[in-house]
Amino acid sequence: MFISWSIPPRSSSGHLGKVSENGESSDSITGSDGTVCVAGFSSSKNELLELRLPLKLFAEENKGLCAERDFKVVHGGFSEGPVSCLRHVPGTRLIVTNDGRGTDLQVWDLGGEESDVIRRTGSVKGMESASKRGSRIAASASPSPQVLHGAESSSVQLTQLTSGQSLYKLETDSADPLNSLQFTGDAVFLAGCSNGKMYLADTRTPAAPLMSPPPPSSGQSVVWWTDASADPQQPSCRVVRLSSSGHAVVSDLRKLGEAACQAQLDVHGRPDNVTVSWAPRRNCISVSGFSGVVEIYDTRDWRTALRRAPPLFQHRGHAVSCQQTDGCDPVRITAHVWHPERPQTLLSTASDGSVHVWDWVEPDANRLESQSEPSIEQDQK
Amino acid sequence: MPEIKVTPLGAGQDVGRSCILVSIGGKNIMLDCGMHMGYNDDRRFPDFSYVTQNGRLTDFLDCVIISHFHLDHCGALPYMSEMVGYDGPIYMTHPTKAICPILLEDFRKITVDKKGETNFFTSQMIKDCMKKVVPLNLHQTVQVDDELEIKAYYAGHVLGAAMVHIKVGSESVVYTGDYNMTPDRHLGAAWIDKCRPDILISESTYATTIRDSKRCRERDFLKKVHESIERGGKVLIPVFALGRAQELCILLETFWERMNLKAPIYFSTGLTEKANHYYKLFITWTNQKIRKTFVQRNMFEFKHIKAFDRSYADNPGPMVVFATPGMLHAGQSLQIFKKWAGNEKNMVIMPGYCVQGTIGHKILNGQRKLEMEGRATLDVKLQVEYMSFSAHADAKGIMQLIRMAEPRNMLLVHGEAAKMEFLKGKIEQEFSIDCYMPANGETVAVKTNPSVPVDMSVNLLKREMALGGPLPDPKRPRSMHGTLIMKESSLKLVSSEQALKELALNEHQLRFTCRVALQDPHSDSETLHRIYTHLKSLLKGYTIQHLPDGTVMVESIVIKVSSSAEDANAKILLLSWSYQDEDLGSFLSSVLKK
Repeated sequence: MFISWSIPPRSSSGHLGKVSENGESSDSITGSDGTVCVAGFSSSKNELLELRLPLKLFAEENKGLCAERDFKVVHGGFSEGPVSCLRHVPGTRLIVTNDGRGTDLQVWDLGGEESDVIRRTGSVKGMESASKRGSRIAASASPSPQVLHGAESSSVQLTQLTSGQSLYKLETDSADPLNSLQFTGDAVFLAGCSNGKMYLADTRTPAAPLMSPPPPSSGQSVVWWTDASADPQQPSCRVVRLSSSGHAVVSDLRKLGEAACQAQLDVHGRPDNVTVSWAPRRNCISVSGFSGVVEIYDTRDWRTALRRAPPLFQHRGHAVSCQQTDGCDPVRITAHVWHPERPQTLLSTASDGSVHVWDWVEPDANRLESQSEPSIEQDQK
Repeated sequence: MPEIKVTPLGAGQDVGRSCILVSIGGKNIMLDCGMHMGYNDDRRFPDFSYVTQNGRLTDFLDCVIISHFHLDHCGALPYMSEMVGYDGPIYMTHPTKAICPILLEDFRKITVDKKGETNFFTSQMIKDCMKKVVPLNLHQTVQVDDELEIKAYYAGHVLGAAMVHIKVGSESVVYTGDYNMTPDRHLGAAWIDKCRPDILISESTYATTIRDSKRCRERDFLKKVHESIERGGKVLIPVFALGRAQELCILLETFWERMNLKAPIYFSTGLTEKANHYYKLFITWTNQKIRKTFVQRNMFEFKHIKAFDRSYADNPGPMVVFATPGMLHAGQSLQIFKKWAGNEKNMVIMPGYCVQGTIGHKILNGQRKLEMEGRATLDVKLQVEYMSFSAHADAKGIMQLIRMAEPRNMLLVHGEAAKMEFLKGKIEQEFSIDCYMPANGETVAVKTNPSVPVDMSVNLLKREMALGGPLPDPKRPRSMHGTLIMKESSLKLVSSEQALKELALNEHQLRFTCRVALQDPHSDSETLHRIYTHLKSLLKGYTIQHLPDGTVMVESIVIKVSSSAEDANAKILLLSWSYQDEDLGSFLSSVLKK
């Protein structure tokens, strides 16, 4: 059972893409907290939008219908090129983007009350990358706003935003293309390579990073994506690696070489813009990028031996609304993110420009309700 | 440069009191004349002192145009025409003309009878005001006078809502009123042709919103209604008789049919018959689907929705009731609400905006104990829900409309400038047109570049064509010389000779003479020859002749040399040219001076 809002597709501005959630309230946004940044990655001009989520999300349990169901564009800006990676710098009104064509980053100020325009305030130089890949980005606010970025494991650096000074560089032997870059602690970060290798390092020390080789099942053409959990309730950080063939491996951050548990996920389709993400407060991971569906899995059912694992829940909203539109290409999920405070809520974007904010409920509790979906005439949009 | 002036009226940045003044080609037009529902004093009316400080408005306005029957667009009309004073024509579509007086009267009754106001327009004033109305048909050009013409386009939104195209000479403005770019169950979407107005004026209230999908909204609404019915509760939906009510009726009727539900749905009497009557009467204003099914059955004759009787409210069991008025401020909906408020199985769904002070507004803000007349308190235990089904255009809708009409400039009203910069940027980037956002009371002057059609004489045309050069191209202006004759209202471009002949004038010739002194020991004729050769090398492509009478001619310019009586070396060059060769003449004189 789910409640979803979708924004009608904007066919002219290309695809809506990466999502970065700033869940914390900011003084410059009065009233409700919770805004989301969304940007497009079509090949030419794109829009960056800071959207205020509908008030409906903040309604109490009993109230089904609420004052506002619509997204509000709080701030908007224009990007000359595609936005392939977008990160919000916590504690600030800044976002950092990368266009996927080079390693340089663009810095933007979301703006405050005086204007609704997101302005470009600067850029960060990245190290040259032979492969012409875009950089991955991770942002931190302590001690001062800084970004960790790079396209390969050999070109990861930490740059302070105000001064542009490079504070740290990751030293590795090989230049493995990166699929993720994430802070797991104040200064500790995990770099996930597309070949399945992981590097764990601390920006405060020049010591060599810890390298974890790819899982044994990895083959030549297999690509891997990584996510590290940040659940304060768990004793330690867990890391999940997902391959393009659907093999998912969970490890403890302190024992990266070992698989704590694993599963074979039932993913079909060509992977593109894959996101694998831990739920903020549960043992669940969400997966998107193989099709028009977002799937949620419960890792508590996984064992050390490899077995098939069915998803706990599937959000089909994007695929379904697309089918109901004539002449629509099969839709693909381009990004999704968990709401940092509401454990049942996720946000997903798709290639048709739709943005969904939806709740999921575990099937057992709601079996009755999920069957009585009313259907309405579809001929009028 | 000619310009069109636009002034949105009203005080402050408030939404809800639509009234815009436009000055175009010497004509003054008032677009909409709305009332602000939130105020009880004069602030609810637009500030007409912008038109004139005192006295009647008739002499200062050429016409008034009303876009649709919502009170925030026509609520101040009787006040303006009868109490401030205006006797000129008031234009609106047929449905608007039929429905407007009903809503105005309803509103008047509540304001005067219930609230006891005195300085308000009377029933007679409403009637007198409506006598000044001239109805419009869609897509039909109406001549207000011999210079001003207007045309109405379909706007969706509510029955009879129109967008208006206003034209004076070759300048034009389109005003949208409220419009909707997506069709709904009983109305179509707004449509306009590529009329390329100088200015497109649109409301921007919802411009920063991205609307949720209608399907999800409807599904949620139906789910809530269904749940209440299933547990035996009663659902009250307060509505205004005309507008969203019809949309919700069709939605519920369809749902009831599909799900085979048996609980009764009622629509309160009074305005119901009139409403259905109008929808049947103006069937051409509804959408295509309704018109198509009209042959088999009338979409507004519902199988599952029946007329309500007061006594039904006490019937046991579940039911859904649509009752007027919409904000629970009086009348039947309030009576029913009082009866059902105490039971938590029941539900009230507010389908639209509620003005401050009304019960609707209070309960939406969470108030659960209400004070009624006679000091009685009412405990509100039923579920209170809000669902906005209003049909307005959001940012995407505005962009779509601009794409359709292709205006030269865009003007947005009723938004806060600081919150509109992004939309302004979007419009400027995508369409390369200027976007204006005047505050209430602020006048914006938009420069226009009208083209003036002029007849040209054949002789002149032939002469121009003979000069060669690129063919006439609207994108590359080409200048030419001629004389413009204005006779009555026709303009004619002719050659100078023809003009002189027509006006029986003689042509005057103007010749300039210039003396240049130089030192040259040679004889006069040698000096002249030197000048001749020099000019010949300098001015290639020009006809330069050395004539036997001792002059040099450059085109038609004459150069003579003479020497001073006292000093044979002091030569005087005499240059003489006619007015037409002014440029060449001055060029020569400067060359020779060196």
